[in-house]
Amino acid sequence: MKGSRVVVELLERQEVEVAFGIPGGVLLPLYDELVTAKFRHILTRHEQCAAHMADGYARASRKPGVCIATSGPGATNLVTGVATAFMDSSPLVAITGQVATGMLGADAFQEADSFGIMMPITKHNFRVTEAKQLPKVIKRAFGIATTGRFGPVHIDIPSDVFVADIPEKELERDYPTPPPRRNLSKLLDAVKLLESAERPTILVGGGAQWSSAGPEILKLAEILMAPVVTTLMGKGVVPDAHPLVLGVVGMHGRQGANYALHNCDVLLGIGTRFSDRVTGKVSEFAKTTKIIHVDIDASEIDKNVKGHIALIGDAWTATNALISGLQSRSIKQSEWKNRIKELKAACTCDFDISGEPIKPQKVIKELSRYLPEDAIITTEVGQNQMWCSHFLEMNGKRQFITSGGLGTMGFGFPAALGAKVAKPDKAVVDVAGDGSLQMVSHEFATSIQDDIPVVVCLMNNGWLGMVKQWQKLFYEKRYKATTLGNVPDFVKLAQAYGADAIKIEKASELKEGIKRAVKSDVAFLLDIAIDPEEDILPMIPPGKKTSDTIYGRCKFKCSI
Amino acid sequence: MVAVISMLVEDEPGVMQRIMGEFTRKRINVETIVVGKCERPDKARIVLSVTEPAKAEAVLEHLKSMQEIVEAEIVDESRHEAYALMLNGHGEARMTGSIEEIADVIEKTKPQKYIRTISAL
Repeated sequence: MKGSRVVVELLERQEVEVAFGIPGGVLLPLYDELVTAKFRHILTRHEQCAAHMADGYARASRKPGVCIATSGPGATNLVTGVATAFMDSSPLVAITGQVATGMLGADAFQEADSFGIMMPITKHNFRVTEAKQLPKVIKRAFGIATTGRFGPVHIDIPSDVFVADIPEKELERDYPTPPPRRNLSKLLDAVKLLESAERPTILVGGGAQWSSAGPEILKLAEILMAPVVTTLMGKGVVPDAHPLVLGVVGMHGRQGANYALHNCDVLLGIGTRFSDRVTGKVSEFAKTTKIIHVDIDASEIDKNVKGHIALIGDAWTATNALISGLQSRSIKQSEWKNRIKELKAACTCDFDISGEPIKPQKVIKELSRYLPEDAIITTEVGQNQMWCSHFLEMNGKRQFITSGGLGTMGFGFPAALGAKVAKPDKAVVDVAGDGSLQMVSHEFATSIQDDIPVVVCLMNNGWLGMVKQWQKLFYEKRYKATTLGNVPDFVKLAQAYGADAIKIEKASELKEGIKRAVKSDVAFLLDIAIDPEEDILPMIPPGKKTSDTIYGRCKFKCSI
Repeated sequence: MVAVISMLVEDEPGVMQRIMGEFTRKRINVETIVVGKCERPDKARIVLSVTEPAKAEAVLEHLKSMQEIVEAEIVDESRHEAYALMLNGHGEARMTGSIEEIADVIEKTKPQKYIRTISAL
């Protein structure tokens, strides 16, 4: 069987529904086989977006996303998307073509050392230098991407391997990937510590999202009467309306959530790496707090915060183990329970601000109100992302997809397209900024050509807003390279691709705009003119403590 | 203080690059490297020494999570073994012994050229 046929055959056997990619010279034999493949191929306009779409697909479907790029520039363009998936533990299989094995290292046309380049930004990567390894490599790639902590796997395939003859029996062997060793030997210690805690708090990260552990975490929280706070990646795992859920922590987090995080005596971290955006100054973090760390990846233990009880296993399994350990024990009902009520009540500022220029908080408020209850929301990176993180209301059914670890501007739009391919019946909305959207706006072409109707909710303030905010707050308003000059006309831009678009300048138009956009049969852009002077506050300045918080409109400090 | 990490790895191209990349990224200076064929076909053994034992501990789980690393451990001091190849006016000399012994000989004989490495089983 020809190498290119082997690739397609094995992708079909993995039940791949879709591959996102762009062809190129060395990929011609592969694309020739794709003509008759049982799965869909979506032609993107830039390889970076092929990776982001595969990533969005993976996050929405919890199945591995597949992206394809050619050698050299195709592979290097893919890099940002693969690194994004790596930082957020998203399962991808990224296939790149490569110059023929005989040409490797000769600086041939469109040759780049993709194997070397991808190595530090993948969970694992392969270079297939012998055709007969190809079946093993493809099977291993899917196994590695979806076993234990998920992650992207890259396969670099030289052009001669695509045309080599591979014995069909090689396709029949299995290459199982052993799951990582679970270690819950400290379970009893964890149970005892939680039982004796006076002020327990549960910090939920992206691991709980991948493991679908939301309902179990709520159950555990109810047993412990512990507040639940989340990282950016954990947003949406638990419904915000639940009395114990205090929202997202961190630099731009909810103040009630930050209070619980920094004032608890026992912190149960589930599927989180304790990133610098969560802990702030790490030497000041949880100095007297005892930490229980649940993670599927043993290498996360002691990486960022040290010296705690470790439970190594997936969030769902470990949470259930904690529940069964704690169920029979008597948890004392402490003052902490009342404190949580106070915190929750103190964190209900009214951001339903009417009037113009439109406040970004108002946009998010209206999205919370009028998006369907099972909508998928993606974000770009910057103020738009942090406004969503802070203000968007999740109900346990909505899904929040964002580039948390790498912070990739231009992620949200292609990720929304990928998510829509995975979940065509759900409304998928990218909350964008005008800086981010301009990095990937060409993908309107993909959305029209391949009929993927998503909504782009553009929070247009004419600035690279987050950097501008830092220049304003920490660099004495010495603005440099942050104004975007109010070009282009985004409505015309979207319309040029065949998408539908409206400009919104009045807060009263938001409701109708959102309702119209989610019903649209084609991609729909809401170009919302927001107040360019509105910052994302509250904010804990980088490397500072919670006591250094800049509050802005947040009234938490006054009421606690 | 020296910490020695011993690994059994797949004998494939790219494995050294992947391992060294992890050390570079975590800012761990590798003092000595020994790589060689070993008792198992298709596998190789890698022994690295680093001068910061705490960092060796920290990188160990990351090494274990790599697909091509079959086993990784920090080797007890009692099993450390040093090796030196030295050149002076009288010709070449080779020597094995404890880390201290080899350091001592190099200090005393001051060879014109030498290489010293650390291995362990």
